[in-house]
Amino acid sequence: MAKLIVEVQDLWKSFCIRHNRNDSLKERFISLFDGRRRERREIFWALRGVNLKVAQGEMVGIIGPNGSGKSTLLRIIAGILHPTKGSVIVRGSVAPLIEIGVGFHPELTGQENIYLNASLYGLTRKEIDRIYDKVVEFSGLEDFIDVPVKNYSTGMYMRLGFAIAIQLDMDILLVDEVLAVGDEAFQRKCLAKMQELKERGKTILFVSHALDLVSRLCDRAYLLIDGRVAMEGVAEEVTGCYNKKVPIQ
Amino acid sequence: MSSWMTGFIGLIRYRELARNLVAKDLKVKYRGSVLGLLWSLLNPLAMIVVYSLAFQYILRIPLKNYPLFLITGIIPWNFFSGAVIASSEAIIGNANLLKKVKFPLEILPFATILFNFIQLLFALLVFFPAVFWFKTEVTPLILLYLPVLGLQFLFTLGVAFFLSSITTRYRDVRHLTEVALMVLFWLTPIIYSISMVPGKLQLLIKVNPLAAFITVYQDIIYWGRLPRPETFISMVLWTCLSLGVGYSLFRRRQRVFVEEL
Repeated sequence: MAKLIVEVQDLWKSFCIRHNRNDSLKERFISLFDGRRRERREIFWALRGVNLKVAQGEMVGIIGPNGSGKSTLLRIIAGILHPTKGSVIVRGSVAPLIEIGVGFHPELTGQENIYLNASLYGLTRKEIDRIYDKVVEFSGLEDFIDVPVKNYSTGMYMRLGFAIAIQLDMDILLVDEVLAVGDEAFQRKCLAKMQELKERGKTILFVSHALDLVSRLCDRAYLLIDGRVAMEGVAEEVTGCYNKKVPIQ
Repeated sequence: MSSWMTGFIGLIRYRELARNLVAKDLKVKYRGSVLGLLWSLLNPLAMIVVYSLAFQYILRIPLKNYPLFLITGIIPWNFFSGAVIASSEAIIGNANLLKKVKFPLEILPFATILFNFIQLLFALLVFFPAVFWFKTEVTPLILLYLPVLGLQFLFTLGVAFFLSSITTRYRDVRHLTEVALMVLFWLTPIIYSISMVPGKLQLLIKVNPLAAFITVYQDIIYWGRLPRPETFISMVLWTCLSLGVGYSLFRRRQRVFVEEL
C-alpha cells in the first residue's frame, strides 16, 4: 500500500456557540450589571472521534447530510481550524479548499487575484508567472481576466478558484461541493482534470452530495453522520447505503 | 523564542504575499482616482496649513520656522495613527482569505503597517525638501533619522499585533482606538515643543511612547541637536514592550481567529 498521506486519529472538534453574543466591549460591560444580557455559551461538537486514513494517490469521497461535519473535517485537514482533541497528520502540501466563493478580493481583477491567491501558498513571483497562463487557459476566462471579480458570475468565480487550485501542484486537493455551480462542460473538464491529477499520484478528498459522482469517481468513501464516521469502505457500497443510514427528515 | 523565529521565517518565505497585499491596498484605495497616491498627501498638507494658521498666527506659538516644526512631527504621527486605525481591520478585513488558506497570519498586520509606511515614505519625499527651504544647514544627525524610523515601524507593528487580535473578539475596539488616538495626539509634543510643557505635566508626556519618538525627530531635524540618551532608551524599551506584548497575544489568539470571524 502506498504511504499514508492523511492520517486522522480520534479527532474531536468543538465550537463555542455564543447565544446573545457580546461582541463589543460595550455589551460586555453592560452584561456585568445586567445578567439577562450575559452571553450564554454552548459547546457544540462538530466532530466526535473521527478516524480517517488516506493513502497517496487515492480519491476519497466524504458524504453525509448537512451539518454532519464534512466541511469542518476538510478545514482541519487544510490547517485552517485546529483540532480540539485528537491528531491530524498531513504528509504533504495541501491545495486550497475549493469551495463556492473562494478567497478573492472583489475589487481586484482576475489577474491580480491569481497573483494574490497563489502567493497565499508562499509561491514566489516567478513561480506564479510560470503557472499564470495555464490558470487562465483552464479557467477559460481570457476575455474577463482584467475585469474586477466583483463583476464575475458565481460560475466564473468557481472556474477561477478551481483553475488556481489545480495549477498549484500541491500533493493534496480538497474539493468541497463545488462542481454544482459550473456548467456541464466545465464540470466534465474538472472531473477529467481530477482524474488526471489522480493518475499523477495526487491525493484528492472530495466532499459532495452528488452520490453518483462519488461512487463513480472515488475509490473509497466515508459517510459522516453527526460528527461520527457512520460507514466507510468502497465508494459504491457506501453511497449505496446512504439512504438507509441517513434518516429522512 | 522558537515561535518568534517561525514567525520571522514565515514573513520572509511569504514576502510575495506581503507585496501583493500592499499592492492590493494601494489599488483598492487609490484605483479610479487620477491623483492616486497624491491624495495621501492631502491630509498632512491640510493639517500643516491649518495648524500653522491657528497656532502660529492666532495663538502665536513662539517657535520660528513653525511649519517645519509641524512637518517634523505630523508626518511620523500620521503614519502611526493611520497604521493603528487600519490595523484593527487587518484580520477581520481579510476574513475571506484566512478562512480558506493556511498561511502565516503575521503577514496581515505586517502588510497593513507596510502599506502605511510606504505612504509615509512618499510623504517624506515630498515634504523633505522643506528642510532645505526653511534652513540651509543640515547636520550629520540626519543619519539617525532612518534608524529611528525603523524603530517606530517595529513599535507600531507591536501595537498592530495587539489591536488586530483583539478586534476579532470585540468589534468596537476600533472606535475606542479613534478616541485614544485623539487624546494621544494632544498629549504628544507635535504642535508644541516639549520644553513648553509645565513641570507637572511633563511626567504625563514622558510616559507617552509617541512623545519619545516625536521629540527625537524634532531634535534631529528641527533643533539639530543630539537627542537625550534617556529618550533613546525609552524608545527602545517601548518598542520591546509593544512587540513583546503585542506578538505574544497575537500568537496566543491566532488559533481562534477563524472561529471568531
